[in-house]
Amino acid sequence: MTTHTIDKAATKPEQVHADGATAPIRKRPTGKKLFRGPRRSGDGLGVLRTVVWVAVAFLVGLPLAALAVQGIQPAARQVFGDPAVATAALNSVASASGSALLATIAGAFLAVVLERSNVPSKGMLRWLVMLPFLIPPFIGAMAWMALLGANGPVNKSLQGLGIDAEMSIFGGWGVVFLLAVHSYPVAYLVIAAALRRIPGNLEEAARISGAGTARVLGTVTLPLLRPGLFAAFVLTLVANLSDFGIPALIGLPQRYTTLTTLVYRYLASSTTSNPLPAVSAIGLVLLALAVLTVLAQRRLPAGTQWGSGATGMDLELGRARLPLVILLWSWVGIICLVPLLALATQALLPAPGVPLTWENLTMDNIVRASTSPGAVSGIGNSVMLAGGAAVCCTVLGMGIALLLTRGRHRSNGSLDVAATLPQALPGLVIAVGWLLIAPMLGIFNTGWVILGAYVMAFTALVVQAVRAPMDSVSSALEEAARSAGATPLRALLDVTARLAGPAAVTGGVVVLLTAVRELTISILLVAPGSQTLGVTIFNLQQSGDYGGASALALVVALVGILGLSATAALANRRADK
Amino acid sequence: MNKRLSAIAPLMLIPVLGLTACAGGASADGAGEAAPKTLTVYTSEPQAKIDQVVEAFEKANEGVNVEVFRAATGELKTRIATEKQAGKITADVILAADVPTFEAYAADGALASLDVENAAALDPKFADPDGFWVGTRIIPTIIAYNTGAITEAPASWAALTEDTYKGKIAMPNPDVSGAAAFNTAVWLQEPALGKSWMESLVANEPTVLESNGPVGQAVAAGSSDVGIVVDYVARELAAKGSPIAVGYPSDGVPYVSQPAGVFADSENQEVANDFVDFLISKEGQELAVTQSYLPVRSDAGVPAGAPALNEINLLDPDQVKIAAGQSEAVEYFNSLLK
Repeated sequence: MTTHTIDKAATKPEQVHADGATAPIRKRPTGKKLFRGPRRSGDGLGVLRTVVWVAVAFLVGLPLAALAVQGIQPAARQVFGDPAVATAALNSVASASGSALLATIAGAFLAVVLERSNVPSKGMLRWLVMLPFLIPPFIGAMAWMALLGANGPVNKSLQGLGIDAEMSIFGGWGVVFLLAVHSYPVAYLVIAAALRRIPGNLEEAARISGAGTARVLGTVTLPLLRPGLFAAFVLTLVANLSDFGIPALIGLPQRYTTLTTLVYRYLASSTTSNPLPAVSAIGLVLLALAVLTVLAQRRLPAGTQWGSGATGMDLELGRARLPLVILLWSWVGIICLVPLLALATQALLPAPGVPLTWENLTMDNIVRASTSPGAVSGIGNSVMLAGGAAVCCTVLGMGIALLLTRGRHRSNGSLDVAATLPQALPGLVIAVGWLLIAPMLGIFNTGWVILGAYVMAFTALVVQAVRAPMDSVSSALEEAARSAGATPLRALLDVTARLAGPAAVTGGVVVLLTAVRELTISILLVAPGSQTLGVTIFNLQQSGDYGGASALALVVALVGILGLSATAALANRRADK
Repeated sequence: MNKRLSAIAPLMLIPVLGLTACAGGASADGAGEAAPKTLTVYTSEPQAKIDQVVEAFEKANEGVNVEVFRAATGELKTRIATEKQAGKITADVILAADVPTFEAYAADGALASLDVENAAALDPKFADPDGFWVGTRIIPTIIAYNTGAITEAPASWAALTEDTYKGKIAMPNPDVSGAAAFNTAVWLQEPALGKSWMESLVANEPTVLESNGPVGQAVAAGSSDVGIVVDYVARELAAKGSPIAVGYPSDGVPYVSQPAGVFADSENQEVANDFVDFLISKEGQELAVTQSYLPVRSDAGVPAGAPALNEINLLDPDQVKIAAGQSEAVEYFNSLLK
């Protein structure tokens, strides 16, 4: 991530922030008090703070309050008597923690190998192992369904080899596996960042004392990495707890329900007369869980500050090199590329069960699916909603980040929690909150509900993106502006905000690309006229048009891969400058 | 405040303003005089099919803009119930599911009396004698099979409980699919089938997929040998080249007639009626036939590969009894699954 120029006089390595191992060191200017607290808040900063707080209260506080009010009603609590809820809760916790564990192990392995070892073509491998991150989980699920279908390439080959066993992706194990596949890249990112902060001299000391590579890894590197591993585990756990697409497509056919699919069923089924109280109660439990994890994470020391500059030890692979190279490339092939090829095949064949030959391939599905009125309006809606969310999130996220990094105020702690909490919330909780307040605001059945929920869910992405670079900007520039006569707000906006602008835009683009393919929130909030792209694809799949669904999914996956890769490349180039 | 500040400060307000503005924006939609008449249709038809219907209807009725919300019947019913609770059903037309659902809405006062010319051309059993709904296509539920896996379909519902089919049957979820919910009630009330048959069916460990579409896909792709599925799904896949064929069970074929109705809350009664009328017009029915549906009119032909209606042993149970037993039947089915 960013390298810090540490200004020794002005900096105390304060508590390291716990939102992942990427968090930089907070600086506290020890010079004269920059801002004089609430009394002088009339000078501009107070306005910003008020505006941000009103927006946060509306976007985060209101939906959660509505959820809490609805969820504690006696009628709502009855839902816990339903044995289906207990089963779904158990499945949710089991699949989320199991997959988070797998993802953390995989992420740690990849981080150590790709950051420290001398495997060839590391750059290429780094990009390829990230592919599942660039593909929305439900589209990944469709790809694996195509790959492991009864007549899919894998089972066909097994049959060809005379093996009677049939591989199936459906059921609990499939859900755990696919959740892990789609969350290990995040774990990898977090762990790799933590790994880069571990200095080489400790490892070298161990090596000089005669320890081999494995021993250094086991006794020095991994123990030092523990906070990073824990952060990766919690992050992926929360994300997997809330995923809808994978359990819906992979779990439901084997009657493996999780809380998200159960809530969807409650909302979608005609047998439940008034599902909202029940759904709110479930949402409230998930909310409580999320708050607990956030609090636990904040209390956890994220590590010790190491001296900067020292680079980590290079792993001597020796004889392990060739097996590792084979392993990594098989990983890339099996986990990242082959499912996409299977999805492409499904999109290019006219109907399921048609044999795969060159003559049978056709672009019909792709043309038909991407030009159908449903798809066109879905794409239009998603682009509008994601664009709107990106703008709102960028502006609001920038405001929050400014207040958190530069203004010292007693409300900052709670602002921090309020702004980052939604990221730890399952999309389901956010959607239900907005479902509840929509009639009050008169926006029921409109796209505004989805926009509101997107902004609530994704603002934290921008806050995170802006915070790190803003933390690293020395406050001396701001002080210079102040001494030249600028008000605190003007100094903040003119100097710091401008420097953090590019990061905010990158954050906004990430919001755009995330929201445009979103499914979990939109599936619960869609209304006539506001069907999103994700829901359109899900609907095509549900109504049995796998060819059309795969075709659109393939387009979305390719656009996502290109878009997010380009954003990451640009952001890296800027950071290198 | 200085100039730059006042230029930037409003930007910070965007999220707030944007969201407060929308509260007013929602009601302003479509209120403009020059705006085309907008018709909202709730339907469980597959998206591609309803898109074609809308295109044909909009062509015949200039200045009308039809907005479609497609979802499984169960989902539509929840949405309608929620809207009703919130004050008003926002859709104009509903085209979905089965007669009992419509009878319930009619009894509730949610539907308006239809004013459609073409109703007279239908077989009376496909139109509501009280005029609240008309059937629009015949959708029988049949047994489909993968021609690569087996050579002959199970001849009857009863045959599906045989050991041969253990773990090899796919069927839609009655919680989600309107047709499946209807079938569950019909099966339970058929003296030859009933509870014991349903128990044996579930004991055969069927794969319960969300709705009919995925069942057809599962059979076509070979992940299930046999599927309980609406017939047009299977015939369409066969036409596209999938190894799937259709068998009409000898012990009776339940069907839904995908009724259409107009909501009493609709402010576009006239256009809404036109839309329903279009569905059962000769043109609308011929379009349905090209979409592989069995038509409700005798003058619209029969889809390729489909039998004539009189060749199928259609079950015509008492719709009132079905309506009364439907949710209980679905619950019974669900209780067996656990």
